[in-house]
Amino acid sequence: MVKQFLMNLLLAFIWVALTGSLYFSNFYLGFLLGFFILWLMNRNEDDQRYFNRVPKIIGFILYFLYELVKANLQVAYDVITPRFFMQPGIVRYPMAARSDFEINMLSTVISLTPGTLIMDISEDRTVLYIHVMYLRDKDQFIRQIKNGFERRLLEIIR
Amino acid sequence: MTDLIIAILSTIGVIAILIAAIGILRMPDFYLRLSVTVKAATLGSGLLLFSLAIFFPQVSVTTKAVAIGFFLLLTAPVAAHMIGRTAYLIGTTLWKGTVRDDLKGMYDKDSHRLSSSNKDVQAKQAAAGEGPDQAG
Amino acid sequence: MSLSLYIDYVILPILAISLLLVFIRLFKGPTIVDRVIALDLLITIGVSIIAAYSISTQQSTFMDVAMILALIAFLSTIAFSFYLEKKDQDD
Repeated sequence: MVKQFLMNLLLAFIWVALTGSLYFSNFYLGFLLGFFILWLMNRNEDDQRYFNRVPKIIGFILYFLYELVKANLQVAYDVITPRFFMQPGIVRYPMAARSDFEINMLSTVISLTPGTLIMDISEDRTVLYIHVMYLRDKDQFIRQIKNGFERRLLEIIR
Repeated sequence: MTDLIIAILSTIGVIAILIAAIGILRMPDFYLRLSVTVKAATLGSGLLLFSLAIFFPQVSVTTKAVAIGFFLLLTAPVAAHMIGRTAYLIGTTLWKGTVRDDLKGMYDKDSHRLSSSNKDVQAKQAAAGEGPDQAG
Repeated sequence: MSLSLYIDYVILPILAISLLLVFIRLFKGPTIVDRVIALDLLITIGVSIIAAYSISTQQSTFMDVAMILALIAFLSTIAFSFYLEKKDQDD
């Protein structure tokens, strides 16, 4: 896993050195080419974790950006129009994330989407309290977070 | 071409910041202000820094701009969490249209420790309620 | 219309208007936490102004100031919330 990542970085730097222009776009192109070469070379190996994980991380970033833009448009519409359509509330959310890193990533991702905000984490680290701007139905909101962000995040980390 | 991309990106970023500024003025209570402003302002600053990273081709400037954007993205949720928690603890009131408050009564008054379910709080209240009765 | 003119006549004035709006909240703010987040937002807008200005003048040196400002905004918010909570606990 770590070995393949370092190999990929090395291939990216070789690409940068050969083309002779140290820009970020060029580095990303080199990284993608190195990933493709490593995937070709390791197709028959047993350990495929690295090659499953990198597309999942890219997919998660795209999903996060999509949610960010969607929620931002909703909030912006509510701010600009004179009437308020929101129904705020604080929801108790039992989470499946356990270790420090998982909780940190989950709460950062939830806090960065507009409309939801982490208020606090309980002392025994099993429950998040989330402030929600558009609370239509509590169970539906909990299901949405559980199937959306938390499932995708834990698939990457674990 | 590059100029056009920079103009579009910075315009979107500036509109996000303007919405954050209108939001902090118009929203009825503290928690709504917090949840509108922090993310919109972070998105706007991130877009402006990204357009700066496109504008300057040198690696040193690009790295610096990306580092500032990453730092903003990483610290904004932490700061929002800290200040929201403090606001709830010092008793900032919620808006009158709030439909649900699961956090009410969950904090221990003296130590500011947060319990995870209703049972703990009820057990503590029962224990605290018995104390004065026996003394009296 | 060149990029530097566009930034000077469109982007920077809108940023200045948002600074003014946030300053009204900083002045009015019914509670002290409102003022703290208004201050935080002012500094974030300041970072954006530095980014826009350094595109318009083609000077990348201003980025150091933006980095320090981003650091100070985070530190000040954390310090304010820490001491407000401690003050409440002591009462």
